[in-house]
Amino acid sequence: MTAPAEIFDRGYRRYEGERAGVGQAMRSVAWHTIRSVLGIGRKGRHKVFPAIVALVAFLPSIAFLALTILIGDMLGEALRPPYWELFGLPIVVVVLFATLVAPEALVRDRRDGMFRLYLSTPLTKPTYLIAKFAAVTAVMTIVVAGPVLLLLIGYTIQSLGPDGFGAWLGVAARILLSSVVIVVFMAALSLGASSLTDRRAIASVGVLGALVGVSIVIGICVDAIGVRHELRVLDPLGAPVEMAARIFGEIGPAGENPGRPTTPTWLVFVGASAWTTVWLGVLVARYRRLAAV
Amino acid sequence: MRGVAVLSTSGLTMQFGPHRALDAVSVDVPHGVTGLVGANGAGKTTLMSIALGLRPPTAGTVTVLGLDPGQQARELRTRVGYVSERNVLPEDMPASDFVKHLAEVRGMPRHEAKGRASDALWLVGLGEERFRPLGTMSTGQRQRVKLAQAIAADPSLVLLDEPTDGLDPVQRDEMLALIRQISEDFSIDVVLSSHLLEEVERICDNIIALDAGRLVAHGRLEDLVGDTAIVTVELVEVDDRPGAADAVEQHLLRAGLEVVSRDMTRLRVGGADPRTSLDAIRDAIASADARVRRISTDRTTLEDLFTGVSS
Repeated sequence: MTAPAEIFDRGYRRYEGERAGVGQAMRSVAWHTIRSVLGIGRKGRHKVFPAIVALVAFLPSIAFLALTILIGDMLGEALRPPYWELFGLPIVVVVLFATLVAPEALVRDRRDGMFRLYLSTPLTKPTYLIAKFAAVTAVMTIVVAGPVLLLLIGYTIQSLGPDGFGAWLGVAARILLSSVVIVVFMAALSLGASSLTDRRAIASVGVLGALVGVSIVIGICVDAIGVRHELRVLDPLGAPVEMAARIFGEIGPAGENPGRPTTPTWLVFVGASAWTTVWLGVLVARYRRLAAV
Repeated sequence: MRGVAVLSTSGLTMQFGPHRALDAVSVDVPHGVTGLVGANGAGKTTLMSIALGLRPPTAGTVTVLGLDPGQQARELRTRVGYVSERNVLPEDMPASDFVKHLAEVRGMPRHEAKGRASDALWLVGLGEERFRPLGTMSTGQRQRVKLAQAIAADPSLVLLDEPTDGLDPVQRDEMLALIRQISEDFSIDVVLSSHLLEEVERICDNIIALDAGRLVAHGRLEDLVGDTAIVTVELVEVDDRPGAADAVEQHLLRAGLEVVSRDMTRLRVGGADPRTSLDAIRDAIASADARVRRISTDRTTLEDLFTGVSS
């Protein structure tokens, strides 16, 4: 059965029907942003970075899964690390995404005048930023949770997953929760840092500095200068995996403290929350100052 | 709703540090096409941003379509279309996607937005070009796309900030005709900001003239510009008729007209009605047997209004 034909060109006329609210406006901006950052409906060169990110995100999981399917459980735990460790790979991907792709979500609107146009609509600066944040976190969630969930499902099909439905749901919920905290942390950092410039390349360098630069400085402080190990909770590269480990009830590399008690879980989340708050504060402060018209 | 003033301000003042962008502007804008005129920095864009509820005024009040932009900005902006002065658009986005997206954001339901985007683009003359990326379009076409996005969600009012900026004369004429059309055919009120007085005179019903933030003039265009009661007469002084200009002046005075000024053989004649004045001038010239180079009715232009203010 074919779809019913629609005539779109009926001539301009007044509109008497219902109007949608701000919710639709936010959904439209979020969807438009997702299409934009993924390069959908844009020239081929805009699809390169998203394609690389997707490839790097899912290829290792697919390879793990393929090996497991091919040789079964012969290699045992070596091929099946704890689930929180599986976030190690998506972290690399999400760093790439936060650096190369996410800045496009904000920078492009300011460069091509869309930001000013949006503010002449029912959108306000807060609703605009919420829509942008939702779009970036939605795409990041796919690249962070997707590969780990894919492995969970693959292992489950191979009868190598958690024992029992309750345990399976528990692991799936922890994967999703870990993904959400990682994504919110990275999205806040990426959008906050890229809000400071109208140039995408500079935004990417800024995000990279906020991630890698700060991580290096903290590493030097702890390892070379001898500052307390707890400072690692502020390491933007180490904190996400550490949060995932804590959600799974284990200790990650950033929390280990040889010869001394491990860093408490609450401190790990306080550290990540501090960074999230700082970058969201930067984002809000920057946009509060931006002229609308 | 047509009875409510499109834009109404009272003592509207906007202060940016030491700079006063708007200085106690009080104005009521009726329906139709209204020209917001003034030099760069006169306060036009500031007035538009206040009207859209994007910044609160330092003092005074403003209502747009009967709504308070400060308190009812969301409702107001579903009913107002806006065209920015800046000529930047998403380069790789097709015009139809751009207009559809902004129609959705302005509150048009998703199932309606696609059709309305198409209709708006046909109206502005870009029906055949609607799937082209914006980056491949000319300046004139991009200005039309900007107009299409402003009207796609069926606004009651459209605010156009320098809509003819960067257009060549032909494109400018077409854009002005389009603006007039959306007002006349669809009863969409338009407030058009421009520093080009001639184009405002061509299409606007009303004007608001600003100079350095102060209201210079406002009202119906026909009341502010057009023919005056002054008629200018230029005579030709020839050797065989010396003193012809003096004789004409005497005849005019006897006919009860006033010679407002005289520069040799050029007389500016005032009277109650230009038609009566013209008859009396004709009779005076005939009686004095003078030769005429030109007779013209003086006309006040917007430029005269501004010149008068600055002088």
